[in-house]
Amino acid sequence: MRNPYEVLGIKEGASEEEIKKAYRELVKKYHPDQYHDNPLSELAEEKLREINEAYDYLMKNQSAGNRSGSWGQSYGGNGGYGTNEFYNQVRRHIQTGNISAAESMLNSTNDRSAQWYYLRGLIFLRKGWYDEAYNSIQMAVNMDPTNFEYRNALNNMSMRNATYRETAYGSGYNRNDDLCAICQFLWCADCCCECTGGDLIGCC
Amino acid sequence: MFGYILPEKPELKIKEYDLYRAYYCGVCKSIAKRYGQVPRLTLNYDSTFLAILLASVWEEKRDIRIERCIAHPVKKKIVVRNSEIIDYASDMNIILAYYKLEDDWRDERSLISGAASLFLRNTYKKIRKKYQEKCDIILRRLNELAALEKEKCNSMDRAAEPFAKLMEEIMLYRNDRMDEKHANILKWMGYNIGKWIYIIDAYNDLEDDIRNNSYNPFIYQYNYTEGAKGDVLSFKNKIRDRVEFNLVYALNQIAKSYELMETRCNRGILENIIYMGMLRKTEQILGIGSCKEVEKSV
Repeated sequence: MRNPYEVLGIKEGASEEEIKKAYRELVKKYHPDQYHDNPLSELAEEKLREINEAYDYLMKNQSAGNRSGSWGQSYGGNGGYGTNEFYNQVRRHIQTGNISAAESMLNSTNDRSAQWYYLRGLIFLRKGWYDEAYNSIQMAVNMDPTNFEYRNALNNMSMRNATYRETAYGSGYNRNDDLCAICQFLWCADCCCECTGGDLIGCC
Repeated sequence: MFGYILPEKPELKIKEYDLYRAYYCGVCKSIAKRYGQVPRLTLNYDSTFLAILLASVWEEKRDIRIERCIAHPVKKKIVVRNSEIIDYASDMNIILAYYKLEDDWRDERSLISGAASLFLRNTYKKIRKKYQEKCDIILRRLNELAALEKEKCNSMDRAAEPFAKLMEEIMLYRNDRMDEKHANILKWMGYNIGKWIYIIDAYNDLEDDIRNNSYNPFIYQYNYTEGAKGDVLSFKNKIRDRVEFNLVYALNQIAKSYELMETRCNRGILENIIYMGMLRKTEQILGIGSCKEVEKSV
């Protein structure tokens, strides 16, 4: 086992509060939802397991209390929705990462139901073909608007983009470029001063 | 490569900025030392990013010097020297630049490209000898790309595939000394970087491509029809949201791969580039946000 403090990215001897905070952040970062339909999902799960182990270890040593249940364990993929064995098999292939098998199975059938489009969308996602994936899943939603699974997948795609942006904004990124805003502000201020007879920037 | 991968300069710490510059100069000097002055002109920011990223994975001891150079004869600059990773990044840079010039010469009969590719020819041959296998794969991918262009492929995903796979290959440095897990992370990151570059470049070149009658995936995917002059802009506006979705999706995947990677140094710069610099570039090319033109150089 690696040094649990290192795994959680905290100093040795960190307080319980600090451990919990770091743990919560890491779990959010590596949560399966973030890596759903991404070929690295297994690695993320591995990472999460490591984080859980480190957290459990530290908490056990911090106090006698044991944490019940852990993240990640409850995540078991979304099998079992399929109405027939054929699509269940395709889903199993997707889940185990055997994308080419899933793809050739889908290509072998003439069925073009909502489910077919949905699964094709998932395969596209795993291949990194986001535009085709979006079109395909959108198609599934249009054909079967009441299906929660399809709608959820579509929403997740848009949500993922939002989480990326959140991180950027969280670390100081600003869409309205600060420098531009400052220039505009100075220019406005200069105009105002000139209106009232004074001057802020001598040269203009 | 194309120089789209830049840091967000206002958010860099000064020490990070200095280090970034040191890598940039390092790539440039590595080219000069091994191949002379002409190939130096192919230098761009993407290869600096590649060097910083691979260095963070392989954690080298940095050999930092303070030196003068032709471009800055008066003031001495900080440079990272004697790094195999920097050598690799600059080699890949020259190979791609060479193929690009050759391609322009073949397609557009551009004299400048033709002459430049002649000048690079010897350097290219030297590098090819060193990375025979890699060059073959890269060349194969570029041929696939050319074939898709010829058949006027109408899907941005399909059109981007060869270039994405090409970047995947470039990211695999010393993969014989790497476990499968890490190789997969680097591959997925490379794939998405390639995808992002291809799509952003296609959107950026859309006007030129329409004017010159060149191939562009968006023309065929969204059925651009020739018309009045203002049409190109309204066409670009129409597809902007979809292109943005695809670009940010790829960026998110790059970020996800990065979070799984075991990086040992350069984290500040890398996070700056991945979370801010590339997003800034995306918004700038798409024309979102208040500043249309951001600083071109770092």
